[in-house]
Amino acid sequence: MTPFLLQAAADTSRAYGEFPVIGARAAVWIAAEVHLMFAAFVLGVPMFAVVTEAIGIFGKDQRYDRLSKEFTRLLLVAYSATAIWGAILVFFLATLYPRFWAYLTAIFHVSMWVYAGLFFFESFTLYLYYYGWDRWKTGRAKWGHWGLGILLNVWGTIVMLIANAWLTYMMSPPRDITPTTDPTSIKLWHAIANATWMPINVHRLIANVVFGGAIVGAYASYRFLAARTDEERAHYDWMGYVGNFIAISALIVLPFAGYWLGREIYQYDQSMGITMMGGFMSWLWVIQAFLIAVLFLTGNYYLWIGMGRIPGAERFRPYTKWLLVVLVLGALVWGTPHTMIADSKELAAMGGSHHPVLGALGVMSAKNTAVNLMILTTFLSFLMYRRANKRPVVPWARTGTLVQAAMFALAAAVVLFFGIRGYFVEAIVRIGFSVYQVGAVLSCILFVTIIDILMARGAQSLGTIQWGKMPARSQYALFVLAVTFTWLMGLMGFARSGIRMHWHVWQVVQDTSKYAATPALGYASRMISLCVLIFLSLVAFVFWLGGLAEKSTYVAGHGEAGRGDAPHVGH
Amino acid sequence: MWVTNLKVVGIVLGTLALYTLIANKIPQVQSEVPQALTLGADVTPEQLVAAGEKLFNGAGGCTACHGLGTRAPNLLTDEKGTGPIGARCGKREAGKTCKEYLFESLDQPAAFIVPGYQPIMPVMTKQLSPAQIWALISFLESQGGTVDVTAADIPAQTVPAAGGGSPGASSAGGAAFAGGSTDPMAIITAAGCLGCHKLNGTGGVIAPDLTHVGARRTADSIRRKILDPASSIAKGYEKMAGIMPKTFGTMMSAAQLEALVQFLASHK
Repeated sequence: MTPFLLQAAADTSRAYGEFPVIGARAAVWIAAEVHLMFAAFVLGVPMFAVVTEAIGIFGKDQRYDRLSKEFTRLLLVAYSATAIWGAILVFFLATLYPRFWAYLTAIFHVSMWVYAGLFFFESFTLYLYYYGWDRWKTGRAKWGHWGLGILLNVWGTIVMLIANAWLTYMMSPPRDITPTTDPTSIKLWHAIANATWMPINVHRLIANVVFGGAIVGAYASYRFLAARTDEERAHYDWMGYVGNFIAISALIVLPFAGYWLGREIYQYDQSMGITMMGGFMSWLWVIQAFLIAVLFLTGNYYLWIGMGRIPGAERFRPYTKWLLVVLVLGALVWGTPHTMIADSKELAAMGGSHHPVLGALGVMSAKNTAVNLMILTTFLSFLMYRRANKRPVVPWARTGTLVQAAMFALAAAVVLFFGIRGYFVEAIVRIGFSVYQVGAVLSCILFVTIIDILMARGAQSLGTIQWGKMPARSQYALFVLAVTFTWLMGLMGFARSGIRMHWHVWQVVQDTSKYAATPALGYASRMISLCVLIFLSLVAFVFWLGGLAEKSTYVAGHGEAGRGDAPHVGH
Repeated sequence: MWVTNLKVVGIVLGTLALYTLIANKIPQVQSEVPQALTLGADVTPEQLVAAGEKLFNGAGGCTACHGLGTRAPNLLTDEKGTGPIGARCGKREAGKTCKEYLFESLDQPAAFIVPGYQPIMPVMTKQLSPAQIWALISFLESQGGTVDVTAADIPAQTVPAAGGGSPGASSAGGAAFAGGSTDPMAIITAAGCLGCHKLNGTGGVIAPDLTHVGARRTADSIRRKILDPASSIAKGYEKMAGIMPKTFGTMMSAAQLEALVQFLASHK
């Protein structure tokens, strides 16, 4: 009998517990997912809270300082929920998957002690950061306070790196570890530094910012809708804009981190990569494409509506319909299926392995081209928004604008050229083309932004942004964004975890429970929706609780909006 | 305010419902856990084909590449006028019947690579039991051809992959690898090393020639390479990294491993 069979036989003996009604897998799924959502929020928000505070310090602008404090207040109330769900997850794992939990603790117990210690430090740093806000608000004390914010991020990031090590070990255990390896003999660092650890770290770091921005945007939109005064409405309009700006900006670079992660998965184990992209998970990417399309369309829609409150934006309005055309076409191409799991009947119905016409749009060349053009289009929307109420006065303004237009045209041309060329070269060459496409888009974003900042110096104002004068539908768009980001997070979590299939630890510890088969997308989607609903309900509840104890950092009487210099970003 | 609250709740629930609905409308594919397959002496071709089809579309993982036409040849539909796999399998390699060709494809996939494709096919005899392998061959033969697999083709001592058999948990694995023999050539033959490596002028060319491997590597290095193929990649073979199965260490006894290591180390 092979070692695998011995292991399988052993695992069936008191290896699993049972959970009433929903079952053990669903219980752990919910606990892990909701914990992760809260954790992403409390790790993402400090990153931009500390940046916002820095803008307030360096720009000597109190509005940013108050905004940063409001971000942190949301953090405070969400923090305990994160810890509670973390504890629930640990208890569920220990009681429902005791043998597997024992295996993990045998390898990672030291890191778990460190994790607990860091959690302690992180908590108290957060309390100091928030409760010391008004005490250390000037001079050197303010710098010290900002240092606390940085320290909070350091603790949080290390906590995330440790937790990521546990889950990435499950995905990609080092090659020399086999089912017969005694877990106590595995060196801790050897297990931590596995193939997917660093790509996941980077991917999650960025994704946390995206997620935090989206949830903050939704919070602000609710407060906007509930506002009783124009001042309050103006403040939360601005806060919602900042949240959305953070989320969309970070989202633009997220696919590149995802690409790296995917490449590492393929390099670690090609069969795992094929399972993910072309195996039973292939349909998941069509859903993902739909969600990304919703994010791009809704994010742009919010910006276009926002231009309605900016004097001078009328001159850009005729262009938005063309931007919409590019986004819709891009979304359709990105969502075109290609290498899908199909049975013989489905293949016969389609007339072959690919659709005779649309199949050509489902390949990576077309999809990379589509998404890069969508990113460029979104950036153009933002640029129009940014320039809406400004008329540049620098002598080289016309030349600058022409150079910017040329950069857009050049980037789009590079993207299209390599997209088309990709159809005529080998796969290994085609993969390299995506680097050129991404490089062109990122370079365009970087240089156009630099030129725009220089051109904006001393620009003539066409009027102040009328913060607060936004139709309600714009705020509902922020809710759609938050729900979509959260759902997408659940979906990608399912993809990452599901590609292990019937293994707790890929090809090392087998799942011999009755839940070993990875479920289909339909079941997964119901679980994801349930987790999102639980998370959003709890977020609403804890924010409401926070609101009971303390009013918004914006209180009537500060009078910024009333003075006509309403809070704004980049204008 | 209640109206606003209701609108917010409606938008959240509506968005969730839309995504859930779409995800439930697309084809539902669940990953299967490989199950034991026990076939008696009186097994019929229909039973073999049915079992094979289930494996092909499920636990075998075949559809991840085959049937799609890009990574690997499409097996269920016509290819360049030669028909589906059952119709063309007997014409792929000269001197090989359909059954022999299909078995070779599953046991030594690197032995014959269809022009235009990469050698990415895993050794399926290391992932599935002999009964499962022959059921798969029956199903593939049934795609445009004649099923000639019988119970006689299936080894009598089939050990089912019980409790959710696993990649690497083949019936030929563990101490039963090469019948437990410590004869290095028997191990090399059973493990299919020559599908990729050449030894004394015989074997494949997609992996380094082992004829003088002892001059390049120490016994320790050879042992490590067998147990962890990713530990070092021979110069010039970087693109083939990841193809060598990492399961050999779990599929032979310590005595077999040592015999193989010393045998290769002596080839200077």
